[in-house]
Amino acid sequence: MTGRALSSDWLKIRGKGIWFLVFLAPIGLTLMQALNFGLRLDYLKGIYGDNLWNGLLENVIVFVPLALMLGATILSSMIANVEHEQGSWKQLLAMPIPRPAVYLAKFLLACILLVISCLLLTAGIVILGLVFGFNAGEIPWIQAFKLGLLPLAGALPVLSIELWLTMVTKNQALPVTLGIVLAITGMFSLSISPSFPLAWAQMAWNGPNPFMYAGMGLAAGILIMLLGMMHFGRKDVA
Amino acid sequence: MSDNIIQTANLWKTYRDRAAVRELDLHIKKGDIYGFLGPNGAGKTTTIRMLLGLIKPTKGVIRVFDKDIRKDRMDILRRVGSLVEYPSYYGHLNAVENLEALRRILNVPKSRIAEVLSIVDLTRDAKRSVKGYSLGMKQRLGIASALLGQPELLILDEPTNGLDPAGIQEIRELIKRMPLEHGITVLVSSHLLSEVEQMASRVGIIREGKMVLQDTIANLHSQTGSSIRLTVSEPEEAMKLAREQGQFGQRQGSELTFPYMDNSAIALLVRRLVEQDHAIYRVEEHRQSLEDLFMRVIGEGAMV
Repeated sequence: MTGRALSSDWLKIRGKGIWFLVFLAPIGLTLMQALNFGLRLDYLKGIYGDNLWNGLLENVIVFVPLALMLGATILSSMIANVEHEQGSWKQLLAMPIPRPAVYLAKFLLACILLVISCLLLTAGIVILGLVFGFNAGEIPWIQAFKLGLLPLAGALPVLSIELWLTMVTKNQALPVTLGIVLAITGMFSLSISPSFPLAWAQMAWNGPNPFMYAGMGLAAGILIMLLGMMHFGRKDVA
Repeated sequence: MSDNIIQTANLWKTYRDRAAVRELDLHIKKGDIYGFLGPNGAGKTTTIRMLLGLIKPTKGVIRVFDKDIRKDRMDILRRVGSLVEYPSYYGHLNAVENLEALRRILNVPKSRIAEVLSIVDLTRDAKRSVKGYSLGMKQRLGIASALLGQPELLILDEPTNGLDPAGIQEIRELIKRMPLEHGITVLVSSHLLSEVEQMASRVGIIREGKMVLQDTIANLHSQTGSSIRLTVSEPEEAMKLAREQGQFGQRQGSELTFPYMDNSAIALLVRRLVEQDHAIYRVEEHRQSLEDLFMRVIGEGAMV
């Protein structure tokens, strides 16, 4: 059932600017670094020495948690809006499909789109490094994959909250504002505490034990998603 | 077991302390076109949303196809097509894509899309984005969506709302065909009796959340009374004459109004008047329309 709903959602997000966003974020981050390294390659070479690949990753990661949380917020809102816009919830939920399946499909859709963004970022970074003539034999593939995917797991709670709020309220001002506040708070959350949930996205890369933070994010995200699903399943549809 | 497709018993929906629907007993039989009538805000849409499981009743039982909506919601919805209030659509997609998005959930054959498009006569505009459709076309697309899953029951909430007369006529013809050609039972709500009168076999009238009348159109017609109006040259004397025949009317200027008389009673009265050299200018029967009855039924409540 979830598969059917997902395949339907896949069709519905066509031409809504959602794919544009999925591509824009990683390309934007890559271009920022193109500018950064393009303008001061010699200076950065002096800093990072032989470890240029790592230097590039270090420069990108600064923006990844922020981009992920903002991306999760905007994507959720756009996905929910497809149904809000012309009052399609009532039509969708009067169909023979369980509401949890509808909810799960939207969640998976958002996850898949964010994963695509992360993979594009990985590709972007590798291409950028090669363009700048970094050693092609030392491409840090694993690190480049982890760069997007681990913070994504750490930021999953934000996605779950945003998806729930955007789906249950027609007015998107509140969930979007909240998402922006969460993303900005996330930037400074390391100074609160590394175990503060909004810091998990950063800790999932920078921390001493990245997989633990990614795992915590994943678990909390799924838990919040299930709570949202339960609420969505029993709520009255206006 | 019963032959009711939809049956509700003592159905309630309350929002805080306001009852949107109360004590509603709805009976819809197989093959009916059931007209669900009531003024705006009477609780029609609330009832329909409950029938589709979109909102939960505060109290009461809903059985569709003799199954409880709380337990067998999926089984029921598989056999129901619906259009609630205003048409839902994805404006950025064209008609075929809209239907395809629904088809993927319903899991019916692809050929069904072309079939329903031709039923609602949208085949020619199928490749245009729905944003640019007129309201009538969107409404027809809504009906096509409702028909996609080959339902046995079609629930249409105000399908003609906001349409021009030609559009209303089109939708009406479309609905009329459903039981005949496709064996579908139809529940259609409206706030205008005249709209439903010509297609429905049975009507239920709801007022302030309560069912006030549920009957066949034929029975309603027999309930609407008619009166006989005579216009004569000497009304005072004519009244006296009529009274002698046992007909008690009211005078208004030169017009006399009598309660319903059968043919022979009229013939007799007219003969007597002519014999007495009265000039009779007009003999008219005034039928009360269903609309009058409807207004009376929903008006009574407004006074209470």
